[in-house]
Amino acid sequence: MPELKPILLVEDNPKDIELTLAALEQSQLANEVVVVRDGAEALDFLYRRGPHESRNTSDPAVVLLDLKLPKIDGLEVLEKVKADPVLRHTPVVMLTSSREESDVVRSYELGVNAFVVKPVGFREFFDAIQDVGVFWAILNEPPPRNGR
Amino acid sequence: MNVQTPTDLDLTACEREPIHIPGSIQPHGILLAVRLPDRTITYASVNTAALFGLDPTAVLGRPFGQVLPVLARAFEADLAEPGSEGEARYLRAVTLQTAAGERAFDAALSRAGDHAVLELEEIPGNAVASLDALYPTLRRFVDQLRTTTTIDGLCRVAAEDIRGLTGFDRVLVYRFDDQWNGTVIAEDRNDNLPSYLDLRFPASDIPAQARELYRRNRLRIIPDANYTPVPIESHDSAPLDLSDSVLRSVSPVHLEYMRNMGTMASMSISILREGALWGLISCHNKDPRRVSLQVRNACDFLTQIFSLQLEARENTILAENRIRLRSVQAQLLAHMAAEDAFIDGLLKHPSELMRLAGAEGAAIVSGDHCWRMGETPSESEVQALLAWLSRHHKEDVFATDALAQHFPAAEAYADKASGLLAISISKRHASYVLWFRPEVLQTVKWGGDPSKPVREVAGAQRLHPRRSFEIWKETVRGRALAWDASEIEAVKELRTALVGIVLRRAEELAELSSELQRSNKELEAFSYSVSHDLRAPFRHIVGYSELLKKQEADHLSERGRRYVDTIIESAYTAGTLVDNLLSFSQMGRTSLKPRRVDMRQLVDEVRQRLAMDVGERRIVWQIGDLPAAVADPVMIRLVFENLLSNAVKYTRPRDNARIEIGAARGDGETVFFVRDNGVGFDMAYVGKLFGVFQRLHRMEEFEGTGIGLANVRRIVERHGGRTWAEGALDRGATFYFSLPDIEGAA
Repeated sequence: MPELKPILLVEDNPKDIELTLAALEQSQLANEVVVVRDGAEALDFLYRRGPHESRNTSDPAVVLLDLKLPKIDGLEVLEKVKADPVLRHTPVVMLTSSREESDVVRSYELGVNAFVVKPVGFREFFDAIQDVGVFWAILNEPPPRNGR
Repeated sequence: MNVQTPTDLDLTACEREPIHIPGSIQPHGILLAVRLPDRTITYASVNTAALFGLDPTAVLGRPFGQVLPVLARAFEADLAEPGSEGEARYLRAVTLQTAAGERAFDAALSRAGDHAVLELEEIPGNAVASLDALYPTLRRFVDQLRTTTTIDGLCRVAAEDIRGLTGFDRVLVYRFDDQWNGTVIAEDRNDNLPSYLDLRFPASDIPAQARELYRRNRLRIIPDANYTPVPIESHDSAPLDLSDSVLRSVSPVHLEYMRNMGTMASMSISILREGALWGLISCHNKDPRRVSLQVRNACDFLTQIFSLQLEARENTILAENRIRLRSVQAQLLAHMAAEDAFIDGLLKHPSELMRLAGAEGAAIVSGDHCWRMGETPSESEVQALLAWLSRHHKEDVFATDALAQHFPAAEAYADKASGLLAISISKRHASYVLWFRPEVLQTVKWGGDPSKPVREVAGAQRLHPRRSFEIWKETVRGRALAWDASEIEAVKELRTALVGIVLRRAEELAELSSELQRSNKELEAFSYSVSHDLRAPFRHIVGYSELLKKQEADHLSERGRRYVDTIIESAYTAGTLVDNLLSFSQMGRTSLKPRRVDMRQLVDEVRQRLAMDVGERRIVWQIGDLPAAVADPVMIRLVFENLLSNAVKYTRPRDNARIEIGAARGDGETVFFVRDNGVGFDMAYVGKLFGVFQRLHRMEEFEGTGIGLANVRRIVERHGGRTWAEGALDRGATFYFSLPDIEGAA
């Protein structure tokens, strides 16, 4: 059994954080969920900078990334991650309210692994969160890593 | 010595005859030309020597002052006057000692290059003594002119008075048309000569260079058509230009013309309008007749007053027409301003449009549309005419009163459009307004056959003017009343107004479209923010309520749980509404990506997706032949999803639900339909069916947000198709949509 990697949730809305955590909790994943509140902090975490300089957690199994974020928005975080030779293997799931086509297209262009429009219905929301959580945190075998 | 005599002119072409340098004068006077730099006489008519009993060589080369000292002062004074060039000016009356004793002469001076041309004309015995004697006649004439209002009346007064002054047998007022044919419009005469009133004379009777001389030298007289020309002698080989001379010898052809006409004496005075030859006052006498230079000057003066009056009258008439047409124009513009499509302003008021140009018919052509009013050629004829017009007449305004002469095909509808007045509004969009006038059959009485103005003498290469001036009647076909200047001006102004409107509309459209683009952008931004900001709270309400229900159920009463359920349901509905609204707006904004769609396969897929909704129900599906279509596959799928899920939904109360899907080929389109035997609808509400958020059923009966059919309509319309429905309450419904055929796809 490989070491359990954390799930990184990048979300600024506390209600969405609470609901997402509740959904992940119900899926009974053992993975730790790290919550960061904006794009800058997400990058700090991923690059082990600033307050996350000395984190001892592994790199996340999956990043659940909201599209609209303070400071650095989700698309920009995605772009940075996917452009980084090491981080680009980290699965990123866009979690967003937006149904705007341009966001979807842009996200896929940037190499997002999945794009989930948060459904209005909580049950669907739970299902979606659990699906992506379970799929990326447990089932998805990460590509072999060289280094780190 | 080089004696200049009229050369034996080749008269094959009257038009080429150099009539301004005939080298001779008429015999009723003498001519001396003085070289200005040294004031010596360099040309002299051969009768000079005889008149004064001198040797001609004694005249040529001598200073002018020595030969005619009595005239020297007047001569010098006139030359010193500014603007003394041009036409011959009356110098003074002078009494000279001649070989035959003392004689009275009128002296006139003109210029020819660096020569002054002095002409002395013996005053006829019957001549009026002085200007004083002419004064009452002139005053009476001016008074009469003032009180005469019509142009015909003015011309008659002029003819009478000129005849009164000169005593000619017949005086004609002769007016040129645009082809330089002349028509006699007024006449005063005695019985010595026949009436020429209303006769028309062909342009060749007065050739172009004669007309030019008439324009320049306003008065000519030939006292005797049988005169023997008097040569001009000179040491100079260059002929003297006699353009402004009063004694100039005329063309033998003209003399023959006069003799053929039976007139031995003639005088003509040019009527000029704004420097151009408008007509002539033409005087004839059966027998030779002289008119003194003084009387001729009076006639010229009188004619000038006459032509000014004529101009004033014509301008008044034109101004009156202008005012009348301007009010018609103002009405038309008001009509146009009152309409959304300005062209309607013209179409709805055909009588004003036609009145603007005094036309019997009109047509407005814009692109492929052609509206006709009044008497016009057929639509295809108008289109053909326009094709010709746009190719050959690129001018903004085109006017003709003889269309068939320009465009022979127009002969077929001469009764409707012999006259055409056309304005082009936009060349790019082929927009024209045309006015038509019918043919007016005219009988023209020619003074002799106009096709034979000259006759050829057998065997000789010489042409002679015709002998016959008998009335030769011709019926003129294919001619309409000519468009006058005020009418042409009125349509020109209408054109300016129309072009202005067209330009303004184009600007407004451009503005509107940029406005639209901006508001579209705003709408996009709005829907984006709605999708983020409005959806989230609904999601939270649903989410927290679910959590409450799940985790705190034990603390809730039965009623409390029902409340929570209601909150969840309401928030869910609101959220779904937002989603649907967004998808509806997206439907209008995203671009179509049409390609060939297998409709049968698509319908089958949609049906499978609906299996969940169908559940245990028994539905009989009847799917007919569905031709492939060219459409945006994602969008057209939405159409079927909506229509089929509606059919499934509204047949729910039926034990034997039946849903039929089919298609029929129509004219340039394919019509698809979805028919069910469900609850149907009242046709009274058919108009609301496809509206946004329009629902015909209560929520408890059938769920839904009322956006589905609005999406269907929007998608179909974006494909260029139509949507409609038929139904009856409790008797099922049929929904139709059509997709236009696209070339290259079938």
